[in-house]
Amino acid sequence: MSAERDALVEEVVSAWRPTGGEGGPRSHPAWHDLDASGRAEAYELSVRQRALEAALDPRGLSSTARAVLARIQGRREG
Amino acid sequence: MSDLDQHLPAIAAGDAEAFAAWLAGAEPRIRLSLSRFAAHVDVEAVVQETLLRVWQVAPRFEPDGRANGLLRLGVRIARNQAISELRRRRVPVATTEALARAAEDSACLAVEPVEPDPALRAALNQCVEQLKGPPKRALAQRLGELPLRPDRELAERVGMSLNTFLQNVRRARKAVETCLARAGVRLAEVAR
Repeated sequence: MSAERDALVEEVVSAWRPTGGEGGPRSHPAWHDLDASGRAEAYELSVRQRALEAALDPRGLSSTARAVLARIQGRREG
Repeated sequence: MSDLDQHLPAIAAGDAEAFAAWLAGAEPRIRLSLSRFAAHVDVEAVVQETLLRVWQVAPRFEPDGRANGLLRLGVRIARNQAISELRRRRVPVATTEALARAAEDSACLAVEPVEPDPALRAALNQCVEQLKGPPKRALAQRLGELPLRPDRELAERVGMSLNTFLQNVRRARKAVETCLARAGVRLAEVAR
């Protein structure tokens, strides 16, 4: 596996996603640069990463859950 | 099995803390329900969009008397979101239909929330404590404060290039998984 591919996979594992025109999350730019096996690998790693994050969080929240709550809060404040 | 619908009245009333409690059990299940789509859609974006929609429709949701109704609704919304994304991306119709059928079959299976595991939390905290140097700093950024930021910004905060930052995040996760395995815990199995 190339270092470049590994880096793209690791970027996609992050829960950060750009915001689209309607205010919702859009696909990660790096996801579009991966082939099918890279996308599947990123998915498998994200399942493990979220389990790790949730287990470490006092409320059991993964970074995905925290990102969603932040968007809800942002919409209320916006 | 716990019933996440216990949080429904508060969620419907707009209580974000109740929604957080629901998310803790529901988000992993919704992500796993999308496994078949992983090569064709960015599952992370679909999961987040699904969870936002669940929050929006929860005040109008009518339970059917069975446990975890809102979670089952979330799994259906996720499937529909993924199929819409396949169509938007012009994935071949045959592929879209095959994935839709497979996802429908999966959605018919029992949908159970993920339960917290205090033993895993204790083991994990010990393993993360053992991390040192750049991997520890990189992982701390990923687990850090909101709002989430792109990795390029996180890398700059800790004085690393993007590639070095991403390598360190990967090293940190591998080190933690190796540490957990020594304690008899396989993260890949816990996550299922």
